Parts: sequence; structure tokens; C-alpha cells
Amino acid sequence: MLSRVTRLGPTLPRILANSGVRFVSQSQQSASTGSATLSELQPSHAKDSHDHGEVNHYVKNPDYHGFSTDPVVDQWNMRLGFFFGVSVVLVIGGTFIHYLPDYGMRQWARREAERLIKQREAKGLPLIAEDYYDSSKIVLPAAGEE
Amino acid sequence: MLKILIPTLFLLPTTWLTSSKWLWPTALTQSMLIALASLTWLNNSTDVGWATLNSYIATDPLSTPLLVLSCWLLPLMILASQNHLSSEPVNRQRMYITLLTTLQLFLILAFGATEMIMFYVMFEATLIPTLLVITRWGNQTERLNAGTYFLFYTLAGSLPLLVALLMLQNNAGTLSLLILPYTKPLLLTPFGSNIWWAACMIAFLVKMPLYGMHLWLPKAHVEAPVAGSMVLAAVLLKLGGYGMMRLMVMLEPLSKEMVYPFIVLALWGVIMTGSICLRQTDLKSLIAYSSVSHMGLVAGGILIQTPWGFTGALILMIAHGLASSALFCLANTNYERTHSRTMLLARGLQIALPLMTTWWFIASLANLALPPLPNLMGELMILTSLFNWSAWTLVLTGAGTLITAAYSLYMFLMSQRGPLPQHMLALPPSYTREHLLMALHLIPLLLIILKPALLWGWFA
Repeated sequence: MLSRVTRLGPTLPRILANSGVRFVSQSQQSASTGSATLSELQPSHAKDSHDHGEVNHYVKNPDYHGFSTDPVVDQWNMRLGFFFGVSVVLVIGGTFIHYLPDYGMRQWARREAERLIKQREAKGLPLIAEDYYDSSKIVLPAAGEE
Repeated sequence: MLKILIPTLFLLPTTWLTSSKWLWPTALTQSMLIALASLTWLNNSTDVGWATLNSYIATDPLSTPLLVLSCWLLPLMILASQNHLSSEPVNRQRMYITLLTTLQLFLILAFGATEMIMFYVMFEATLIPTLLVITRWGNQTERLNAGTYFLFYTLAGSLPLLVALLMLQNNAGTLSLLILPYTKPLLLTPFGSNIWWAACMIAFLVKMPLYGMHLWLPKAHVEAPVAGSMVLAAVLLKLGGYGMMRLMVMLEPLSKEMVYPFIVLALWGVIMTGSICLRQTDLKSLIAYSSVSHMGLVAGGILIQTPWGFTGALILMIAHGLASSALFCLANTNYERTHSRTMLLARGLQIALPLMTTWWFIASLANLALPPLPNLMGELMILTSLFNWSAWTLVLTGAGTLITAAYSLYMFLMSQRGPLPQHMLALPPSYTREHLLMALHLIPLLLIILKPALLWGWFA
């Protein structure tokens, strides 16, 4: 009965006063309607799981974390979840990803480019030469030669 | 590869041999360690891109993010389902974890396959555990109908793919992803080529799902238990995008003309499904339609076939995987308290569950692509590549982005703000488990933006 206190609130004294009354449905159960097939398709436990709030976990375990009804398992499941989820995967995994090798040397290439730009600016040279290849080194075939 | 596959396989004996008391903590711990080990795939040391190569399985920069995402989803699914299954007999709980584990196994093999037929078989195999999870553990009777839709849409869409792949095998002599880009294109009659192209793409477009072939998705999402919805939104839809990216490279000369109707459908779908979200009453259905809308953008990015389109699609797939899975978890926390998905019945929750409102807020902002989240990066890259193709697409994508913002805020305001209805004054508080679950979704999402090169795919 304690577990119902939080849910029922002001209606509780009324229920306690009429404790002789049994709460049994008096309406006829009709098997001919479509609801019969519906209840067959529902798993048997579904009815229990839909009666929400009837079990107040905080009465048995004030530190309930939402894992298990057993307080010891509940606490250990919480610890394992936080340790392996946050400390191991996010922290250790995150550190691993941060220190991954520089794939394709892209970060090096960027650092090198910045260094070259500073160097060329200091010397007053153009940042990038017009020709990709040094034109003096290209050997062209003589004109008119087939 | 085996260092992930074998521990995943051994999760099955773990599930069946541990005592019922410690079943969930053990499964959670082992799956977390598998997720940690899966991060080593991100260390790609080869210059050609392919790594951990053997005759059947390999990883490359396109598949690694999706592989890591599917490994990360299993502990999150276990964490999310714990309360949902607490009233069931222990053997059914074990069966449930077994199904989720086999699903992860099939997903790893699908994303890792180098042979198209193996990819196809694993693509189909993922249907079985998902179908069982939906039709056995769903909450309403309509779950059977949803299961039928889910199964037959995907099967009918992917049977032509089998024929197309067998034809390709007959002509090219191989279906290996390593060789196929270098083979000659399939020579058929012009009409036959078009049919062949469509057969290769329709399977993935149904799975994505493309607007017009998406009707199975909201049904499956609404009826599935929380883990089913999570894995469906986060990973299974991405199988479609992944398959399209893999096959696009072999459909080269045909795609230029053939993609037009599909790009039009994808972009139109972004607007239409976004508009449907604006008038949804069902919370899970709203999140499902928002998935269709985002995946339409991904489909557009892939079909446009530019480096930026592919990269944007991959980024958006990963970011949307985490964000939509987080939203489904939040919808489930509401459902476990109010036993209704109707948004009208669960309003003003900020008063009852204030910290959960923070998670709702971050997840909604992730869904509407607020900077600095990777969702924005993915959307911007796709928008840019579509705009570069035709400036008129900005009308559709821009309106789509606006509608996305509108329905995300509508969802947040409807569920969190305003007075608390009289019928739900005594809600159980949010549990530590639920906060951990949300943190494990959203912290990785925020961390990814610090190293986005992980998601750049082939074009890193």
C-alpha cells in the first residue's frame, strides 16, 4: 500500500475508508467482438507492463538508477555502464582517435605550406610560381620535326 | 576484422550462460568493449584506403564510420531496452539480446564485405532479426502489419538487385569491389541498360527510403520497440546509402541521365515529409518522417555524385544516425511514463522532468542541424554540391531546411513547454540509465566535430 501513496495522493483516504469494497469489473466479457483476437495477439505480459507506476522502485531502493530491481545489481550495472561507456570508450577511445597518425601527411603538408608562405613573403618572392614545372628544364622537340 | 567479429559472436554464449541476475550488466560491458575495439578501424595506415584486407572482408574510409556506428549502437540498444524488457521471462530477454547481437554481426559483415553478393546476402539477413524484434516485441497489434510492410517493401525492392548483380557477375566475371571499378561497363540494349541501372538502385532507394517508397518506414518505426527503432534509424537506413555509394562507381555512363527523376523525388520528399512532420500527432511517427526527410537529402547528395556530395552524405548519415537514435530514446522515455505516443497527452514535461528537457533540447537542435554539430556540416556540403549542379535546387533544399527547423521546434515545444496536464502529475523521475543513454548518444556527436576528417570518406 505504501507504494501507492505517491500516485494516489488525495484519493488514498477514500480508498482506505472503503476497504471492504472489492474492485472487480462487473461488465460482461464478450468473446464475439474483435477484441478477443486482439488479446490473443498481445503477449501475456503486456497487460502487466502497461500498468505503469504500480511498482514504486524507490520504496525498496531509494537510490534506484533504472537498471534492475535488485539494489546491488542496479548499482553495479550503473557503475559498469558509466565506467565502460564514459571512462573507457569516450575517454580512452577519444584519446586514441585524437592521437591517430596523420593520414596522408595532410597536417604536415599544411604546416609546411604555412612555413613556405612566411619564408617567401619575407624574401618578397611570389607565393607560388606561375609554372608548375621549371620551364628551363623542359626539353621541347625542335620545331618542324615530325 | 576478426578481433571484432569473434567477440561479437561470443556475445551469444555470454548472453545464454551468464546468470539471469547479471545478464544485462555483462552484455552491456562486453558490447562496450567491442565498441572500444572497433575504434581501431579508424587507424587507416594504407595509402590505397583499403585496410584489414582478406579475401572477403575489408574496411575502407567509407565503411569504417558506419562500422564503428553499428558497433556503438549495440551497447546503446542494450541500455535502452533494459526497462522495456524487465517484466519478461529471462529467456525472452536473452533471446532479445541474441537478436540484437546477430543483427550487429550481419551489419558488420554487410559493411565490411568486399564481394557484392556477400553484401547482398548480409543486407537481406539483417531483415530477419529486425523483423523478429518488431513483430515479437512491438507494443500494438499493428506491429504484424508493420512487419509485413517492412519485409515485403525491402524484399520486393531488392530482388531485382540480385538479378542485376548476377548479370554483372556473368559479364564482368567478378563482383569484387576492389576490381569492379576497373572493369568495362556492362553493354546491353539502351532500354536494358536503363532497367539494369534501376534494378541496381531501387533496392537501396527503398531502404533509404526514397519518398514514394517510404511507407514501410513510419509503420515499422512506430510499432518497433525502442531498440528496433534505434537500429533502424541509426544503421539500417544507412545500408541503403552505403550500397548506393558502392554501386554508383560502376554505373558510370548511365547515371548521368538516369538520376534526374530520383533527385527530384528525393528533394521533393524532403519538403513533403517535412510538411507531414508539421502536422503529426504521434511522436514516434514524427521522428520517423523526419528520418525520411533527412535521408532524402542524403540520397540527393549521393545521386549528384560529386566528392562533396558523397562526403556530405556520409557525414549526414553518421550525424543523423546518432541524433535520430537519441530522439527515439527520448520518445521511449516518454512512452514508458505516459504509455502513449500522442504528443497532446504528454505536454509540459519540462516541469516534471527538467533535466530530460535539456536532452530534448540538444537532440532537437541536432536534428535541425545547428552549428557546431556535424549534421550542419553534412547538410551544408550536400546543399552546396546540389546548388553547384543547379541553382534551382536551393528552393527545395532551403525550404526543406526551414521546415526541418520548424518541426523540430514544434516537437520540442509541444512535448516540453506549457502547463503539465492534470492526468500525469505523478510521473516517475528520469533514471540515471536514461541520462547515461542520452549522454552516450550526444557526447560522441559533439566530439566528432573536433575531428571531422574521420567522416570524410574517400576524400579525406
